Amino acid sequence: MPTLAVESLLQTSALSAGYGKIRVLHGVDLTVGAGEIVALLGPNGAGKTTLLRALSGLLPWSGNVRFAGRDLTGANPRAVVKAGLAHVIEGHRVFTQLVVLDNLLLAGYDLPRGERTARVEEVLELFPELAAKRRERAASLSGGQQQILAVAQGLVRRPQLLMLDEPSAGLSPVLVDRVLVVVRRLRESGTAVLLVEQLIEKALALADRVYALARGSIVLEARAGEADLPLRLEHAYLATARHSPRSD
Amino acid sequence: MVESIVSTGVAIGCIYALIGITYNVMFSASRVFSFTAGTLGMLGGVLGSLFIAHMGMPVAVGLLIVLIAGAVFGIITEIVAVRPVLKSLDQHLYVLSTLALALIVQQFTAIEWGTEARPFPRLFNIARGGFDQQFWLPMLACVAVIVGLELLYRYSLIGRAFLAISEDNYAARALGLPERGLRMASFALAGMIGTLAGFAGGEMLLAFFGNAPILTFYGFVPVALGGMGNNRGTVVAGLLLGLFQQAANFLVGGIFASVAVFTVFIIVLLVRPEGLAGATLQRRV
Amino acid sequence: MDAATKLCQSRAKVLGSTSTLATALPFLVLLLIGVGFPLFGGGYWGVIATRACVYWVLVSGLNLVVGFAGQIAIGWVALLTLGAYTTSVLAAGNVTPEFPPYLALTIAAVVGAMFGLIIGLPALRLRTFYFAITTLGFATIVTQVALAWQSVTGGGVGVPGPIFPEPFSSQWGFYYFCFGLAAICTWMTVNLAASRFGRALTAIRDAEVAAEASGISKPALLVPVFLFSGAVAAVSGGLFASLQSYITPDAFTLDLSVLFFIAILIGGRGSILGPVLGTILLTVLPELAAPLVAWSTFLYAVLLLVIVLAIPGGIAELLDFKNRRPLASGRTIIPRPDLLKQLLDVPRDAGALTLEQVALSFGGVKAIDGLDLEIRAGQVHGLIGPNGSGKTTILNVISGYYVQQHGIVRHNGTALPVLARHRRAHLRIARTFQTPRIVGSASVVENVMIGGTIDGKGTFIESLLALPRYRRDEAMLRATAMLALAVVGLERLALVRADRLQHSELRFTEIARALMLRPGFLLLDEPAAGLSAEEIERLGALLLAIARAGTGVLVVEHHPDLIFDICHHVTVLNLGRLLAAGTPAEIRSHREVVNAYLGG
Repeated sequence: MPTLAVESLLQTSALSAGYGKIRVLHGVDLTVGAGEIVALLGPNGAGKTTLLRALSGLLPWSGNVRFAGRDLTGANPRAVVKAGLAHVIEGHRVFTQLVVLDNLLLAGYDLPRGERTARVEEVLELFPELAAKRRERAASLSGGQQQILAVAQGLVRRPQLLMLDEPSAGLSPVLVDRVLVVVRRLRESGTAVLLVEQLIEKALALADRVYALARGSIVLEARAGEADLPLRLEHAYLATARHSPRSD
Repeated sequence: MVESIVSTGVAIGCIYALIGITYNVMFSASRVFSFTAGTLGMLGGVLGSLFIAHMGMPVAVGLLIVLIAGAVFGIITEIVAVRPVLKSLDQHLYVLSTLALALIVQQFTAIEWGTEARPFPRLFNIARGGFDQQFWLPMLACVAVIVGLELLYRYSLIGRAFLAISEDNYAARALGLPERGLRMASFALAGMIGTLAGFAGGEMLLAFFGNAPILTFYGFVPVALGGMGNNRGTVVAGLLLGLFQQAANFLVGGIFASVAVFTVFIIVLLVRPEGLAGATLQRRV
Repeated sequence: MDAATKLCQSRAKVLGSTSTLATALPFLVLLLIGVGFPLFGGGYWGVIATRACVYWVLVSGLNLVVGFAGQIAIGWVALLTLGAYTTSVLAAGNVTPEFPPYLALTIAAVVGAMFGLIIGLPALRLRTFYFAITTLGFATIVTQVALAWQSVTGGGVGVPGPIFPEPFSSQWGFYYFCFGLAAICTWMTVNLAASRFGRALTAIRDAEVAAEASGISKPALLVPVFLFSGAVAAVSGGLFASLQSYITPDAFTLDLSVLFFIAILIGGRGSILGPVLGTILLTVLPELAAPLVAWSTFLYAVLLLVIVLAIPGGIAELLDFKNRRPLASGRTIIPRPDLLKQLLDVPRDAGALTLEQVALSFGGVKAIDGLDLEIRAGQVHGLIGPNGSGKTTILNVISGYYVQQHGIVRHNGTALPVLARHRRAHLRIARTFQTPRIVGSASVVENVMIGGTIDGKGTFIESLLALPRYRRDEAMLRATAMLALAVVGLERLALVRADRLQHSELRFTEIARALMLRPGFLLLDEPAAGLSAEEIERLGALLLAIARAGTGVLVVEHHPDLIFDICHHVTVLNLGRLLAAGTPAEIRSHREVVNAYLGG
């Protein structure tokens, strides 16, 4: 859908970030439109997780980021969540000492109490397997269930854009499919998704558009259905150093 | 005689346990041990004596103001001595900054309040003797804090937010939890617990600036033995410490009791650096 | 010897001598002031000056523990107390036969050394805060024992301090005695700071894993340090007792401990001059105005807080003018592999590092699942795979940081037993780290010299006394380090503080440090991360040259660029298992490898 006439939901330009002296992202430009699923692919160390962390305010960054018409410069994670951008971090990290219900309630910490309970109930309806375990400690959930809980946490605030960092990591194929079904449903409800994934085929099957990130920059941008995409991706990843930009 | 050892031992053990909980609450929120825990205990006694005995306030009002002062000092600790050094790569700086802050307050107290131990007022007008209030006040305080914390963690959202921050700070931030505000609130809570310990134990310990280093050390021993961040272990260890100390006092006299406590402490730590109940540390390479 | 090496050696000499002059100057000034002090100082200030000297004797030793080794020993006043009472009781002759004061002082030093070791040893097992608390506990205990042991120490009444015979019995005589001892302690600790022991201490403080990889053993290093610090602290106690004329337990307050400790931190860690100035400052400050005396500890604590928050490097950082000069921007790293021949010109076996069916699990997760691997001398071996495949774990097993649960690691045919990890360096197995581990406050060349610590022959005492073997060590280490820096292309930055360097320069610094060991095997953990394309090319050329010089090189990476360009063999891992092994060409076209890399 056109990303030129209307301002995209998320738009970054010249986004750079790193950890202390190590610069990881070198000027990333990408957009995510309302209601679309965008996959972010790339080899390890490319900077995909760093990109998500920068967007959600967990890391300092430089450049330009606009979300839902607002400038996100200097926003901390709490402000970013309030603006409608949710980040489900890598590793299905949930609060294992707390029960499922508490995990979800904390996701709505800043909401007024009535609204918080209502939203949490909404989310539990989307995930009956979580609803069945609402009073159980998160430690007793399987890896896949914890991942679904983490995604559910992201949804409590009804975000306009949900960012998922490798939701399939460490999960069996069956559970992976389960999670990806959830992601597809999100698009139907109008939530945009920025999906970082290692599993190229599954990501391509789900996404509308695709970016490939390698060595801190975007090396490919395409629509998901385009021809010989897997081959183009392989070349983009394994391109020799001579074609990559200098890091300063 | 045994009665006396037990009642004194348990009472003092409760004070040590409360200071240990103070350490733990600060640690849970920031992964940092602060030297100010013992100073908070000292302030509870000194301020209590100041407000009630010297300024004539009613006990309840005095207690309230002491708790508020504790909360304020806790927040100051977080802002001045903890937050600035959390970002630094140099891990040891928090030891120095909290030590400096603790010393500043201790020295100020020594100069303004005096270096002599002054009496702490009797809180309830009951005759002395038997199972006296100087024994059951610390026990009551300890029970109240344990129950209060349990209720906080189980039934309030902020309590559960504390647990979340303590378990996985990064995930909590990513979820949008107000990490800084919660840390400040934790330190305020720790401040109140510390001053409560000193207030409840005021009659036993007296209002004395020198309580600060004593409580800094003896309040940490239960944490070291019970496992850092582990309140249950800390309480048990605190009670055992109090009993052991009183028994040793009775059997071999004050000085050697201290030596005995210290020796046991060192030996346990050297054998199991993570404490009797703590988990072993893994080092990242 | 070729021109390049000669150049390096002469450069090293020049650098060595100019920095020596710059370091010596402030001390010479202090020496002059100290010697000439009685000429313009009055009686009262004489006492203060003597006290400063006495304190500095203790602080000079404590500085090694706190400032160099980084141990937070707050309760060191315990040793002052011990030394004071030992000297006084022995000299007084009421409990024991009367000892001459010098002998009493010497015995106190021995007692102090022993207790310094006892108080300090827990540092090897305990974490920072825990250790700090135990030293506090010690201090309290010692004072309480002094109070209680009336028969010996006189309890609360105290004992008279020792009186030293002519010419040190007069005020100025005693001043010169203390000043002389202070000067000797300064000289010894300056020597130690500029020795492989001093550098090793800072390595333990700031980069412990790198120190271990360089062969530095923390216990072996800290034992002499605690002995020395305990001894001088006790000597200081004896002098203190003499200065006070009469000592009681309440002269040894925690306030004194705080003074010593803060003097070091205000002065700056890893410095000698800083803590000297810090001690003088803290001794003199309360004397400047009468009300200040009561507030002295309060002031010290405020100063400490200000330093920690604003200038963690202390006075030393303020005085570090040469590191304020801006560095050239747009610096490039141009290694000189041709110089490798001089550096690595030592006989080495053409052997191999082999892993046989090595397996290791963490909890329930199999990190490495039965792996065979062979790294041959003279070749570059690449180890690649996606995140979580176990690459870094293998490197950690080879370098001794993790212990495998099954399988054998062989070095030139001999199985590597479960050694302490610092023994790997002695086998000439060197490594670098994923995130550069360096001593930020030391210069680049000092960081590199840390890599050659185990090749020094001078002992701790020889270093304290600047004996010839220590001087030879320093010359050798400095020359070698300059050569190593020339090899990696960083010799222009030799004297710059390491934390001012860019990330890529730090990576090459680590390689220079590793080369100091003249390694038979060099293991690199993701060396290309954060480097530009040009830098990766140069890194590749350097690693190839290192291999050609006879070293077996293992490169763990997930950037394919470096691997495919320079490796003779490549092993691909996935989920802890071998996925494929062969030449780069074979791997590149291997279908499963590509899939594993891209995921799927």
